[in-house]
Amino acid sequence: MPIGILLIALLLQWLSSKEEYRSFYAPVPFLLLVGMFSAIVACISGYLLSISDDYNKEIVGWHQWMGLSVALTSILLYCKERKIQFALRLRFLPLVLLVLIMITGHLGGSLTHGSDYLSAPIADIFSDTKETVATIKPLPDAQEAVAYTDVIQPILQTRCYSCHGPNKQKGKLRLDDSTGIMKGGKDGKIIDFQHVDESEIIKRLLLPVDNDDHMPPREKPQPGESQITLLHWWISTGADFNKKVKELNQPENLKPVLLALQEVPDTVMDVTTVPVEPVEKAANESIERLKDQGIVIFPVARGSNYLSANFVTDSLITNEDIELLLAIKKQLIWLKMGFTNVDDEKMKKIKELSNITRLSIEHTSVSDKGIAELRSNKKLQFLNVVGTNVSTKGLLQLKDLKELNNVFVYLAKINQAEWNELKTALPAAQIDTGNYIVPTFASDTSEVKAAQP
Amino acid sequence: MTRKELFNQQLQNEAQKTVCSLNTRRHFLKESAMGLGALALGSLFGCKNPSSPNDIIFDAAHPLMPRFPQFPGKARSVIYLHMAGAPSQLELFDYKPELMKMDGQDCPQSLLEGKRFAFIRGIPKMLGPQAKFAQHGDSRAWVSERMPHLSSIVDELSFLKAVTTDQFNHAPAQLMMHTGSQRLGRPSLGSWVTYGLGTENQNLPGFVVLTSGGQNPDAGKSVWGSGFLPSVYQGVQCRSVGDPVLFIKDPDGMDRDLRKASIDAINTANQEQYKTFNDPEILSRISQYEMAYKMQISVPDVMDISNEPDYVHEMYGTKPGRESFANNVLLARKLVEKGVRFIQLFDWGWDSHGASSEGALDVGFINKCRQVDKCITALILDLKQRGLLDETLVVWGGEFGRTPMLENREGKKMPYKGRDHHTEAFTMWMAGAGIKKGGSYGETDEIGYSAANGKVEPFDIQATILHQLGFDHEKFIFPFQGRPFRLTDTRGRVIKEILG
Repeated sequence: MPIGILLIALLLQWLSSKEEYRSFYAPVPFLLLVGMFSAIVACISGYLLSISDDYNKEIVGWHQWMGLSVALTSILLYCKERKIQFALRLRFLPLVLLVLIMITGHLGGSLTHGSDYLSAPIADIFSDTKETVATIKPLPDAQEAVAYTDVIQPILQTRCYSCHGPNKQKGKLRLDDSTGIMKGGKDGKIIDFQHVDESEIIKRLLLPVDNDDHMPPREKPQPGESQITLLHWWISTGADFNKKVKELNQPENLKPVLLALQEVPDTVMDVTTVPVEPVEKAANESIERLKDQGIVIFPVARGSNYLSANFVTDSLITNEDIELLLAIKKQLIWLKMGFTNVDDEKMKKIKELSNITRLSIEHTSVSDKGIAELRSNKKLQFLNVVGTNVSTKGLLQLKDLKELNNVFVYLAKINQAEWNELKTALPAAQIDTGNYIVPTFASDTSEVKAAQP
Repeated sequence: MTRKELFNQQLQNEAQKTVCSLNTRRHFLKESAMGLGALALGSLFGCKNPSSPNDIIFDAAHPLMPRFPQFPGKARSVIYLHMAGAPSQLELFDYKPELMKMDGQDCPQSLLEGKRFAFIRGIPKMLGPQAKFAQHGDSRAWVSERMPHLSSIVDELSFLKAVTTDQFNHAPAQLMMHTGSQRLGRPSLGSWVTYGLGTENQNLPGFVVLTSGGQNPDAGKSVWGSGFLPSVYQGVQCRSVGDPVLFIKDPDGMDRDLRKASIDAINTANQEQYKTFNDPEILSRISQYEMAYKMQISVPDVMDISNEPDYVHEMYGTKPGRESFANNVLLARKLVEKGVRFIQLFDWGWDSHGASSEGALDVGFINKCRQVDKCITALILDLKQRGLLDETLVVWGGEFGRTPMLENREGKKMPYKGRDHHTEAFTMWMAGAGIKKGGSYGETDEIGYSAANGKVEPFDIQATILHQLGFDHEKFIFPFQGRPFRLTDTRGRVIKEILG
């Protein structure tokens, strides 16, 4: 408050030195007086706070002296405005006060919000990455991670450090190093190895949010349930600062929590259908030409150069179309050619699309000869040959495709007698022969009538 | 021109010149210092986030062109089966033996205090389950005898047993479920999806609506409206009897060439208009004319189920030529096969209050179940065997649930057994497209009155559907009237518990 009042006083004083704002001078002495008193009050209350609470000693010291000098300077300035003799000659007094106010304000900000309260948001503006602070990065492998540094410390860092860290030690508690954690705060230890649930740190985390002793305070970001579970687990295993996660005893209920630490965010590519290796962008010209042919072609997701193609509105595939596909063979991973004129002859070319993971050629005239062409398409995972002339003989040709895990052969020429042979040749693949029957019950075609009420 | 006028004109010219001469470069810099600074600051803040979340490019000339999702989705299409009127979860999936013990007793006061019901007044009686239940499949899911077919495929489905909503009247609750708001004016789920993804088959609408049961849903056509999204994304209602889309046939005396010529002429005129006014809605209109022309050929073909083989009709229990939910379900499969993005089915007649025999839990409700059980089961299995289930998301549900109490409309005994509207617990299920097989999430209390755990709300269901299609519901937004809108508004959580 003194900062605001004094700044306004200085601003008005400066403005009133200009001819057209002369009238602004009137409130200046009064503002200075109020600012002076509030600065003195702030000094006293600040001193009391610095005794009761544990802030960074160095910054507190500076803040204290700067605050005092602000108060002193404002007294001098007030004397000057009141035309008290000794102060009249101090010409640069307002400027000095301005500088002092700025330094004091900055130090105060550093104390309450952390020393990077200014630089962090600015750095945030200029950096491209969205997450700078307060997010916990997923771990590559939770079991290999060091329990304290990789799992526990980030939780403390994002939830506790702002009050119990290097700059501030509320309740004389410091959580940013091992000695601080073990020593506890002014009420004693925060960790109880015998009764983990009774540990001050756990107890306070679990208190209702509106309880005064609940930590972190209601208005601060709260840790998640899984984070509390992790803290509890870490304490129960002896609060070790060096051991890896896998070296610590892990109860069953912790496994999913640990696994969640390495879970990738939603927006990361699904590796089962989209390859992880990056690929360069396909030539725009090829894509445009394919589109002109009425072929539906688009990237599988934003930011991905991998492509999906669908011949849903173009049932007459020409050799030229396939040549165009070959031009984007690096990027093309999903291909739908169902209900088209694809035949064994065209399969000879289609097999060159070596990155295909999903291929649908249902209801085409492709037979065993055509399907055998795919035997070197190692990346193939999904194959739909519903309603084609493909038989067991053709599918047996695909036994080396280790990735192939879904094959649909409904209405194709699969002989039930050869089923076992097929299953042994393609043990990993789920082969769906379809022909599901939904029986017709008497009730399906009749209606219940109401009895006369 | 009089001398005076001439003089005035000269004076005016001179004044103008003076004004212009004041507008120097310095003047420009001085006047625009704030503006330029703000611009620079804006671009500074802008660089923080190079890929703005909403970079769906609306191309008015090709509004339905397929677009890519935010991340590779599991689902390419959605079939949403809405049982309009709200089926009773207590006679279908939510087995409550405790409720049976309370059958006929007065409802405890604790369940009524501070609650409002659509029709129940005073103290109603409790009503035990009106069907026998059994566990089915490897997932041991409870399904009643009302759905004998569906109970054979529970291992393909994931149940949500504790869905809640906050609207107890049909129209607002349906709007809530499909548009994320109980009031009119928001885009429906299907509109959002076609806006975000376009559609793969340019000869068919991207968002098709099929209704059965003799009536449209209570919320009317707004449940498939496009709200503030461009109108091209609204659902196209097709009929399963007569012309699938009204006025799609050429009028008598007009052949197809003449039709083409007239559409070309209209489009040329519209092109001229567009050159003059640059209004993207004109391009939209042009593309709609063209689509209508293409649809004249492709829609009657795809909407005709009579050319399906007999074993398919046997499987679905379909009879071509009449309006039925089963026919619509078979159509939905055909549309998915043809690359239609979103197929919305509404089946009216599930509002089992017990006021009439159609609305009786032991009469009309049983018949409704019989109409949907076989064909829905056939749909799941047919999609599965055609290799379409893992890229088609099937959603089943109503707009709310029904009370564990017997309805006593206006405090009186009703002629039949029925239940009132209930917002605090009902069951929905999803299948296909990355949904866990044989999953179940959420539980109700022991009498099925309210959610005990795993509670979800319509926003969560919408978020999950969008997630399966490749959208982060929090980043899928449309700027309208100065603020970004999203389907899930400020809520919504992807129900990861039912994802495979």
